[in-house]
Amino acid sequence: MAQTTFDYQAPASGGEQSISLRQVTKRFGDLTALKDINIDFVPRKINVLLGLSGSGKSTLLRHINGLQLPTEGEVITLGTEVHRAGQKKLRHLRRDVGMIFQHFHLVESMSVLENVCTGKLGSLRGPRLGLFSYPRAVREQAMEQLARVGLADKAFNRADALSGGQMQRVAIARALIQEPQVLLADEPVAALDPVSSATVMDLISRIAKEDNLTVVCSLHQVELALEFSDRIIGLRGGEVVLDRDSRTLSLDEAHTIYSAVAKVGENELEQEASALAAAPQA
Amino acid sequence: MTLTAPAPAPRSTAGRTELPPRPAPNPHTIVVWVIMLGLLAGGVWSMIDLGVTPEKVFGQFANAGDFLSRTLPLDFPEFGELMSMTVETLAIVLLATAFSVFVSLPLAVLAAANTTTGPFARFSSRVIIMFCRAVPDIVFAVILFRLFGLGALVGILAMGLSSIGMVGKLYADAIEEIDKGPSEAIQAAGGGRWQWILSTVIPQIMPQIIATGLHRFDINLRASVILGYVGVGGIGYYLAGALNTMQWQRGMALALVVLVLCIVVELIAGVIRMAIMGRGKGGFIGLLNSISDGWVTRPVDTHSPQRLGSGRVRVSPPWDGARIARTLSIGTLLVLIALAVLVTDLTQANFGRAVENFFPTMGQFFPPSGGGNYWDFFWPSVVETVQMGLAATLLGVVLAIPVGSLAARNVAPSAAVATGFRVFIVVVRGIPELILAIILLVIVGFGPVPGVLALGFGAIGLLSKLVADSIEETDVRVQDAVRAGGANRAQVYFAATLRQTAPAMIAHVMYQLDVNIRASTLLGIVGAGGVGYWLLQAHRLQQFDVLALLIINILVVVLIVEGLALYMRKVIR
Repeated sequence: MAQTTFDYQAPASGGEQSISLRQVTKRFGDLTALKDINIDFVPRKINVLLGLSGSGKSTLLRHINGLQLPTEGEVITLGTEVHRAGQKKLRHLRRDVGMIFQHFHLVESMSVLENVCTGKLGSLRGPRLGLFSYPRAVREQAMEQLARVGLADKAFNRADALSGGQMQRVAIARALIQEPQVLLADEPVAALDPVSSATVMDLISRIAKEDNLTVVCSLHQVELALEFSDRIIGLRGGEVVLDRDSRTLSLDEAHTIYSAVAKVGENELEQEASALAAAPQA
Repeated sequence: MTLTAPAPAPRSTAGRTELPPRPAPNPHTIVVWVIMLGLLAGGVWSMIDLGVTPEKVFGQFANAGDFLSRTLPLDFPEFGELMSMTVETLAIVLLATAFSVFVSLPLAVLAAANTTTGPFARFSSRVIIMFCRAVPDIVFAVILFRLFGLGALVGILAMGLSSIGMVGKLYADAIEEIDKGPSEAIQAAGGGRWQWILSTVIPQIMPQIIATGLHRFDINLRASVILGYVGVGGIGYYLAGALNTMQWQRGMALALVVLVLCIVVELIAGVIRMAIMGRGKGGFIGLLNSISDGWVTRPVDTHSPQRLGSGRVRVSPPWDGARIARTLSIGTLLVLIALAVLVTDLTQANFGRAVENFFPTMGQFFPPSGGGNYWDFFWPSVVETVQMGLAATLLGVVLAIPVGSLAARNVAPSAAVATGFRVFIVVVRGIPELILAIILLVIVGFGPVPGVLALGFGAIGLLSKLVADSIEETDVRVQDAVRAGGANRAQVYFAATLRQTAPAMIAHVMYQLDVNIRASTLLGIVGAGGVGYWLLQAHRLQQFDVLALLIINILVVVLIVEGLALYMRKVIR
């Protein structure tokens, strides 16, 4: 395996805000989406998973908060053994883990403010319907998070009245209202134009610093990865093929590595894609 | 099939090379054909046996002049009385619809694949929904009367329960079609099942919740008349009383009131539907917006929340047009429901007694028995009901295919003709079949013929629309190709247009048959004969064993038709 580099010195695991994957393998039927993954993510830094679609980035990300469970191996997030946690423990963990998605996952017919409030459901008792079903304190928190992402003026608009970049910022506010320790971002800019992409990545990195968040973010653009990450983990066909400190990487070097990351057989790609499509909702 | 190599060069002259054997037809296709031909034969036989033949029908219509003299002048009840019965009818229909919406939502959540709690819950809720669909509301009513006695509650529950069959099904379908992303986001944030269902699923299907509720309100209003025959209050009760005592002038006046009521409701529903779908600038909300512009202030700074005079963060939406309209409509609905509860004396209903009486009452229905009269009276009446359904469907097909074809833009000779027929279809749809049947019964006398005519005519409203829609969805290139081959208009129509829509057409006809057989049961109650007549008699004479037997018969017939329709849709898809 040419060009494979592992220079990153992982800190000892078990520390505060740690996320560890130990010999994680994930299979969907005959297809193997993740092969024997061993990673300790760096606390309070931005960890980027780089790879083509179907390389296993999303699947890996979803193991961290138990949206998917490993076929083999162990996942320990913030001290919780995700691979053997019950529903109750998982929900408890997920309160501390915010997540944003490629397609934002907002309820488009709902107001922006109510969408942000729904992020707090994990720590509220009972189901809610309608903005006024949330306590005033939660709505105030939601408003403050909207102000942080620069959308305080859009609070009472319907979510579908916003642009893609704005919708992703609302989704970030929805994750932040959880007051999480970890932020998972699954291809947060893949559906956005370059300008919005930069704005959103900028926002994520600024907030990560302000709130001391551990960020795990999947991307497929080398430039964005280099600019906004502290560490880059390259995935190909469900295996880690690169693990580098971003500061020691030049753009040229990164591109060379990326071509190695990207050197995936067509069949393999398709298999991975269909494996992902077949993935059941956890 | 064996392949012989090398294949001879293709020749234009037939006969030299053997034609490949025709593939054996799918046995299911044959079964479908047999069923279709059987139904057609059944329809023709039913028409003749029931006496729905042109000479007889026209002979009976010769009485129309006589009819006018019997019904004119119309005898309207005095205004106060009319208002009170109208209000009672609307209250019962509103509460029944609200009941069905509130019960259907949790059922639909359990029945939909993406929100169910497990296979058992999914299966049970599907069975409940299907059961409610299969049982006509009149059957629920005669059973519930034993539990609650006279009162509006019986009508509300009977109509509400039978509405669940449609409302629950449509809600479950809507839930299965939502965007699952938001739900996943809430799961990822630690939200529990009922939290993500209420916060992300329900808001997404809200437009369907309202639209289906409105649609069902309309259907229930039309159906409410029939419940009057078994004692549920409202216009139907007085209508039934007038017709049973041959007060034709009063009866026709009340029928006219129901007709007007249906049209008014249809118009209001149309306005509400427009308001839900078109969130445009104009209209009522636009007007409210232009008023509220005077006091609505919007935050200007994107990075700091707007503060109120007291210095607190503003966390409720401004009172703009949309919020005023939303608040007004929710408020109006709640007030109407509260009024309806008052009007119908629901607070007086004794639920405790009903629960206590449940098992003893149900026990009265068992064992079902015809008292030795089954083969002499009841079985022939079941056959007659099925005959009415078959004959009405055949008549409906004969009327609806030409009307529907002419309403389709790609078949009609001109756009104006298509529009004209579309309007005609909408108008026919506005006429409640039951009211039409009652009018026809008064004209031609009691018996199955007016029932068949009313249902056949009603098919123009439903079936023609379905036919027109599926014709407009056909691939016009096929028509072009056939036309290019020199075919005339009729040839194009039969070879290209009708042929393409055949599968859809079969599905529509089966649906109409399903609708008609249920409707024939009900029409029996207003005097069109069939099993409905005996159902009403058994209800009046409190012959519980007979009632049970008839209910079982009705359910079996409905389930057979449903099963046939389901099977045929599967095969021809």
